[in-house]
This record gives sequence, structure tokens and C-alpha cells, in this order.
Amino acid sequence: MKGLTLRHLSKTYFDPYSGTRVDAIHDVSLQVEAGEFVSVVGPSGCGKTTILNMIAGFLPHSGGDILVGGKPVKGPGPDRGVVFQSFALFPWKTVLDNVAFGPKMRGVARAEREKIAREYLAIAGLSEAAGRYPSELSGGMQQRVGVVRALANDPDVLLMDEPFASVDAQTRMTLQEELTRIWAEKRNTVLFITHDVGEAVFLADRVVVLTKGRVLDEIKVGLPRPRKWDDANKDPEFQRLSAQVLEKVRAA
Amino acid sequence: MILVWKIWGAYVRLTARFPSVATLMPFVPVVGLWALVAHLELFPKVFFPSPLDVWRSFIDLTWKGILPDYLQDSVVRLAVGAAWGMALGIPLGVLIGMNRIAYRALWPVLLFLQAIGDIAWLPILVIWFGYGLVTMTFVIVYTVLFPVVLNTVLGVRSVPPVLARAAQSLGAGRWSVVWEVILPGALPNIITGLRNGLGYGWRALIAAEIIVGTSGIGFLMFDARRAGSVVEIFLGMIILGILWYIVDSWVLAPIERTTGQRWGLVTR
Ligand SMILES: Nc1ncnc2c1ncn2[C@@H]1O[C@H](COP(=O)(O)OP(=O)(O)O)[C@@H](O)[C@H]1O
Ligand SMILES: [Mg+2]
Repeated sequence: MKGLTLRHLSKTYFDPYSGTRVDAIHDVSLQVEAGEFVSVVGPSGCGKTTILNMIAGFLPHSGGDILVGGKPVKGPGPDRGVVFQSFALFPWKTVLDNVAFGPKMRGVARAEREKIAREYLAIAGLSEAAGRYPSELSGGMQQRVGVVRALANDPDVLLMDEPFASVDAQTRMTLQEELTRIWAEKRNTVLFITHDVGEAVFLADRVVVLTKGRVLDEIKVGLPRPRKWDDANKDPEFQRLSAQVLEKVRAA
Repeated sequence: MILVWKIWGAYVRLTARFPSVATLMPFVPVVGLWALVAHLELFPKVFFPSPLDVWRSFIDLTWKGILPDYLQDSVVRLAVGAAWGMALGIPLGVLIGMNRIAYRALWPVLLFLQAIGDIAWLPILVIWFGYGLVTMTFVIVYTVLFPVVLNTVLGVRSVPPVLARAAQSLGAGRWSVVWEVILPGALPNIITGLRNGLGYGWRALIAAEIIVGTSGIGFLMFDARRAGSVVEIFLGMIILGILWYIVDSWVLAPIERTTGQRWGLVTR
């Protein structure tokens, strides 16, 4: 497991057609320790996706440094697993082959990578779905596959961009609980992006509030794990933290 | 009315048991009408043979070995042309679809060349390559190539970029992205291109055989015209229809069912 460091990160979008520049990220510094779960929360348009895409290597950054385990990142790579809001499963691959894709790219032999994939599918309660195609699954199940596919590749850092935003509210709560459970087992370094304050607090060890391309504040979350929504909803500490974060986000 | 529904119901059950019945049944009235018109001799018999005449000619030409030979020639020409068309067209389409510079450089040229059309090349090809196989192969490859390239480009561009990103974040390199993401994502379009290409190619082949051929179904028909044998022209036309039906339902449709439709990329 490795940590993630952002040092004075900035990003300016340049539109060659209109000739306009958009300063999406001004100056963001952030340290995610190895094995830490950090949520980044902020209003729409504050630059969350931009930051994640730069860390993932999908976008070049304009200034500053992005380090994983102390080494600067260059382009996309398997050390940074990504879970997408749109799931981004390969429609032409079965659930099993989707999850086995990362190991396949690492050159793991078929029998071995299918064994790995089955293990991870079992953790997420997806064993039954192994032979099915993504289009045959519900949205909630598709995103379970998306999470498990990223985890099965054993990345140093797991990046998640509003992964549960497009599933219904009940399923979302189940997925959040499952994520805390799975994470408690694997203890990956996670950067979780969301605009949902409750989600940010529920999942994380620490919540970072982002505003207009800058870090506004950080709030530590010391709630015990594993976490359940039934407990969290009754927990005054959870209420207090959520209110505190919400206040910051609204001030943003 | 009820009787009609009962017969219809029985027919539906029958076709469910024997799908080939559903294929053949629609032709029964067509052939029946044909037989009737021929029988009444609305047109002189030499110009309008009956189904039975055509059937006899089929038996006769098969027996002599002419028909199997010609059929084989035509089908092999089409297969070779289609294979070359795909071998050139798919990589070219992927290149143009993925690379902005290649797109800018080649797309206008492709549209221009496509507009010239297949048999419009024949005059110059005959001068360059003479009456023969090279000319015919060129025409078929040319005809198959463009639908395959154009549809492959469309297919490549329709693959959501997020899928390539997902693959890269799982460790896929450039070639793995092409092989594991771009090609399968573009496959439904590639098959559409192939379907169109084969359809055009088949017609172009017949035209080429008529103009420059020395064998093949197109040549058979043209030769029959010279000999004034309307029966053989009819036979040639029917064989063209049947062959296309076979290619479509035995080759193309099964590929479509096991790929795009199964993956939920295209709806039925
Ligand atoms: N490709 C782009 N070109 C120009 N501006 C962009 C581009 N993508 C995002 N932006 C701008 O950057 C800012 C941050 O966007 P984004 O990172 O998507 O925010 P969030 O994910 O927090 O909603 C917004 O003002 C948005 O309009
Ligand atoms: Mg976003």
C-alpha cells in the first residue's frame, strides 16, 4: 500500500476554438496516507472530477506534483485503480472476464486470474453473476462489478468519482455499507469523490471540502468501523460531523 | 374469420418447429403466380419460361458440371475479395477512427474514391489488367473496402472514451486497448459494413463477370443472353437471390446474434 500526495496542483483548461482559459484547479495540496480513506466533497463544478482525472493520468496537469508512493505519475496506470460514475464495464466481456481484465493485462495465466476474479466476486456477493454480461445486470450490480474490478487489480490507490450517484437511494446505501466492509478487509488507499455530504462522512477517515479549485477545510472522522446506516443515523457524532461538513460545503 | 386465425395459429406453430418453412412459404405464392402466368402463355414461351423449365435447366447444367464450376468461381471470387477488403479495411478504419491526423488526411480521399463507384473503374482496369481475375478481384475489394472502412471508423468513434480509460487504468497498453476495447466496441458497426460491402460486392462481381468474365454466374447469364436462352438467365437470377439469402442467414445473422445483440450494444 502506498500514499498519495498532491503538491500545489493546478489545472488550466484551454479551449482552442474560443481561445478562452478556465482555471479549474488553482492550488490544491493534499496528503492521503497509505491505507487511508479520504472523501473529497464539494459543490458541482468545483473541480472534483478534474482532480481525479489528473491523478488517474487521463488529463495532464498544468502545475504542481502528483506522487504515488513518492513517485510522480505519468499517464494512466494500474497502480491507480479507477471506479467510474458510468461504471465503464466492458459490455462484450462477462462479469468474470471484466474482473479478470486487470490481472490479464499483468500477464497472469487464465486459470489463476479467474481464480482471483472469483474470489473478489464472492466478496461482493456476485458469484452467481460471473457468467453474465453487464447489460443483464441492474445498475447496483454493475457498480459492484466496477468496484470489484478495480480492487482485483490490487492498486496502490483507488480513485472513485461519484461511483454511486447513478443508482437508486436504497441500493446506494447498501453499496456504501458494502464498500466500508470490503475496504475494512483490504485497507486500500482511497480517494473518494462525491457531492453527497452524508456519503462523504459515512465512508471516510477524513473529509476534504473543496471549493472553486481550492481546499477549504479538512475534517477528521473518527467513527468506529464497520459502519452501518442504521447506527450512523442514530449516532449524534455522525450527525454533528455531517452538519459541520454541510456548513463548509454551503459556505463554499 | 375464426378459421383464418386457426390456420394462422397452426402455421405459426409449424414454423416454430421447422424454421425453414417460414423461409420457403412466402415463395409459394410467388412461384405459383409465375407458373400460372407461364401456363397461360401471356408472354411467348421463349421469353417467359415456366418454373419447371428453369428447374430442368438447373438439373441439366448441374449434371454437365457447368453450374457447380461457375458457382464456385463466383463464390471464391467474392470470398477472396471480401477477405482482402476486411484485411485492408478494418485496420485502416481503426487507424482513421483513432488518429486525428489520419482522419484529416484520409477521410476526404475516402469519400472521393467511394463516389467513383465500383464498375466505374472497369474501363481503366481493363486497360491496365485486361479481361481477367485481377480486374474482377480489384473491383470486389474496392467495393467491399469502403463500406468496411467507413463503418469501422464510425464504430471506433462510437466506443465511449471512458472504456479506453478504464482499460488503461487496469494496465492495458496501446495495443491492448485496440484489441480489447476498440475492436470489440466497433464490431457491430464493422459487421454492418461487411454486410453492406458483401451486398455491393456481390452485385459488383456479377456486373464484372458480365463485362469482363469468362466464367461465373454473371458470365452464365450474359452468355445465355447471347445464346438467347432466357431459361438460363432466369436460373442465374434465382441463384443470385438464394446465394445471398444463404450468406446472410448462415453467416452474417449468427455473428450479429452472438456479438452486439448478446452484449446489449444493439437492440433487436
Ligand atoms: N474539458 C473542459 N474544458 C474546459 N473547462 C472544463 C472542462 N472540464 C471541466 N471544465 C470546467 O472546470 C471546472 C471543474 O469541473 P469538474 O472538475 O467537472 O467539476 P466537478 O467534478 O466538481 O463537478 C468547471 O468550471 C468546468 O466547467
Ligand atoms: Mg464531477
